[in-house]
Amino acid sequence: MEKNSEDDSVPYHDTKPAGYDGFYYAVNATFRFIEKTKGREALLSYWQDHGTQYMSPVWEKWKEGGLKSIADYWRAFFSHEPGAEVEVVQNEECVDLSLSVCPAIKTLREGKREIFKDYCQHCYFVSEAAAKEAGFTVRIKGGNGSCHQAFYPINSAPEPQNLKDIRSAQ
Amino acid sequence: MIGVYDFCGHYEWTFDWMQKHYGKEYLHRYFDECIHQDAQTHAKKLIVEKGFEGMEEYWGHTLVDEGAKYTTRSSEDYFRIDMHDCPSKGFLIRNGLEQHEDYCDHCMGWIGPLMEDAGFSISHEHNHRGQCWWVYHRKGEETPSVAIESDENDVKTKANWNTEETPIDSFFQANQITDKA
Repeated sequence: MEKNSEDDSVPYHDTKPAGYDGFYYAVNATFRFIEKTKGREALLSYWQDHGTQYMSPVWEKWKEGGLKSIADYWRAFFSHEPGAEVEVVQNEECVDLSLSVCPAIKTLREGKREIFKDYCQHCYFVSEAAAKEAGFTVRIKGGNGSCHQAFYPINSAPEPQNLKDIRSAQ
Repeated sequence: MIGVYDFCGHYEWTFDWMQKHYGKEYLHRYFDECIHQDAQTHAKKLIVEKGFEGMEEYWGHTLVDEGAKYTTRSSEDYFRIDMHDCPSKGFLIRNGLEQHEDYCDHCMGWIGPLMEDAGFSISHEHNHRGQCWWVYHRKGEETPSVAIESDENDVKTKANWNTEETPIDSFFQANQITDKA
């Protein structure tokens, strides 16, 4: 299987360099289905379990490698997401992601899909659950196609996340 | 962020999460209500409106985009796919991911009800190792014998089709995941 130089930063590898963008439709529909059938609390559990369980190989690396490992992960992650435009900067305090083009929202819009209104919140709840396991925390501002995400060590965390800072998607 | 590069890993983990929390019936509802009726509306539109031609159009690009190795053949009475290297199950096998008891069931879970709404039935087998075959034909008719005749692309003739590690699941003239023979 071909790998690029950043590939060791993500736990799973495919034979294709980037994922199939049509799968964003299923991600979007899954959130809607869980909330519609089981309610918001179930959806939050799904997102949080995703962060702690499915992402365990990711946060285990973050725990070991700290901020550098977090930065490496997101650079590699977005290099495999079709259409993503992101800048990942690591400084002494945090890792800052400036996502100028969110590949999911872009694809859903281009496909004229009804975007689940709290789609962008999944980034917070999934990443926060994963980061917490590794001793970090995340704060997100923006959404609906572009956002800033910052990962801090828990002991230097800023004010708690205000969900109003994460825009509804449409 | 939940991405699409390792989507099949997310997807399989989700099946297991749903079944553990809410049971198998809920998972089957997910395949139908969420994947068939929401995520895959583009597939449904093509197949309802264009029948076999729509199947060719849909699978002609999605399987290529997903990186599948497969063949198709068709006539005015059927559309057949022989999947030699499923990109989805292949991803799980290559990465050692096996959370859910039967990942392959998800295809019948969403395609079956879609085909029912479009007026088609399915004969299908999968071996849980990334190989399967599908024949779609008009509902209420027998599966055309020419569609199940073997040719050089028949996945069932390959050495890796049926081994001790590859129990076969079979569906004949079916539309529901619970129709497994």
